[in-house]
Amino acid sequence: MLLTAEGLTFTSHADPGPHVVLDRVSLAIDAGEIVDVRGPSGAGKTTLLRALARLLPDATGTLSLAGRPATDYAPAEWRSRVTLLPQTVAMRQGTVRDNLLMPWSLKVRSADSAPPDGVLEQALHDVGLAEIALGRDASRLSVGQAARVALLRAVLTGPSVLLLDEPDANLDDESAAQVSVMTERFAADGGAVMRVRHQRGDVMAHRTLRLAGGHLTEVGS
Amino acid sequence: MNELAGGVIEISWVQLAISTGFVVIVGILSLRLSLGLERDLAVATVRTFLQLIALGLVLRWVFGVDSPWLVVGILILMMAAAAQTIVKRAPDAPPGILGSSMITMLLTGFTVTFAVTGLIIQVEPWYRAQYVIPIAGMVLGNSMNGIALSLERTFADLDSRAGEVLALTALGANPWEAAGDSVRVAIRAGLIPTINAMAAAGIVFIPGMMTGQVLAGADPLEAAYYQIVVMLMVSAATALGSVLAVLLSYRRRFTADGVYIEKGYRRG
Repeated sequence: MLLTAEGLTFTSHADPGPHVVLDRVSLAIDAGEIVDVRGPSGAGKTTLLRALARLLPDATGTLSLAGRPATDYAPAEWRSRVTLLPQTVAMRQGTVRDNLLMPWSLKVRSADSAPPDGVLEQALHDVGLAEIALGRDASRLSVGQAARVALLRAVLTGPSVLLLDEPDANLDDESAAQVSVMTERFAADGGAVMRVRHQRGDVMAHRTLRLAGGHLTEVGS
Repeated sequence: MNELAGGVIEISWVQLAISTGFVVIVGILSLRLSLGLERDLAVATVRTFLQLIALGLVLRWVFGVDSPWLVVGILILMMAAAAQTIVKRAPDAPPGILGSSMITMLLTGFTVTFAVTGLIIQVEPWYRAQYVIPIAGMVLGNSMNGIALSLERTFADLDSRAGEVLALTALGANPWEAAGDSVRVAIRAGLIPTINAMAAAGIVFIPGMMTGQVLAGADPLEAAYYQIVVMLMVSAATALGSVLAVLLSYRRRFTADGVYIEKGYRRG
């Protein structure tokens, strides 16, 4: 198993008062797998993804990646391997190139060299964004384009696991289809994907899990 | 009206009463126009009298006692009051910033005040209250405003950028990398009023200390030199203080694991 989680527990103290959002949740995802998480809104699907990325304050439980416990990794190093793409796309000020290269400006990748323009252009071309110049102001991208650039930015850093929070919510059909293609390609290359979604159903997922009442259950495929 | 040797025209109780008369006129206006400000105006006037007379008496006593311990003690009290004010003015800041505000006030307050009195004005002895206390007051008052503004802005900006901070952290950013943009914006915001005041000094207004010295009979050019020294040092204190306070406190909004604690995850 590539990513495993055991006994993930999280209690929310926000409105409407303390309540258990994740109740000893355990799961395992294999390399090459695409797993969808469904469930009623407010059930804690986003919370689960954040816990897996070690982005949830006060969450407890154990995580491991490729057999190594999470405690072996510095938090930033873990996040660079188990990478969450939040639902809200956050483009930084600057060009598309600035945004795609931003991860290499971080200390966690100080030893790695950033991909050259040729690689970035090819990557944009592969996800149907060939018409977008690297020098384009990122604030002028459409919602669908920005979502794909954000996903591409995460994929290019080469994580082992991608955690996608509603990756195709609010997207037009063409952009959503491209996001699916990117996701599939990432899994085919040996990555594992966990997606939260409730809008579109497609046949791509290998497994579907359902989160409700703090418990995670496998939905018969 | 008695003119003193130093060239100061003394103000007697009669003059104080005349100035109060003008405030009474404003009070009557407030009544006639139903502004509802009479009470506030009366309280503020009484406070002005009491606080400033008390300050005058305390300073007169301190000047008379002439003790280094007393002067340093008063400076520490002033800094504690400034740190307390900073905390009150930044309600969105995480708990525990009182400590970093106090450290900031102590470091910048003492350094800048004694740099002015010791290195530039060269006061003898070093603790002479007549110089040290008013200069510390200007340094602390101004840097307090800048620091409060910077801190308030840091945490407000982080909250409004919470989504971007999460996205950055998810890609492996550490707290400094995730918060950097907010920290820069906030420090700039804290410094702009000071820079504006420097740029407008002497054109739009006569700075307070220079006004005081000129009224007290000093040569305007001498007073200008003093004012330049104080303005530059106050700007330096504000800049150093804002940078220090923000750097000491922004990390408190992150967990030990470097996750930004968003509003929904805060307790109490």
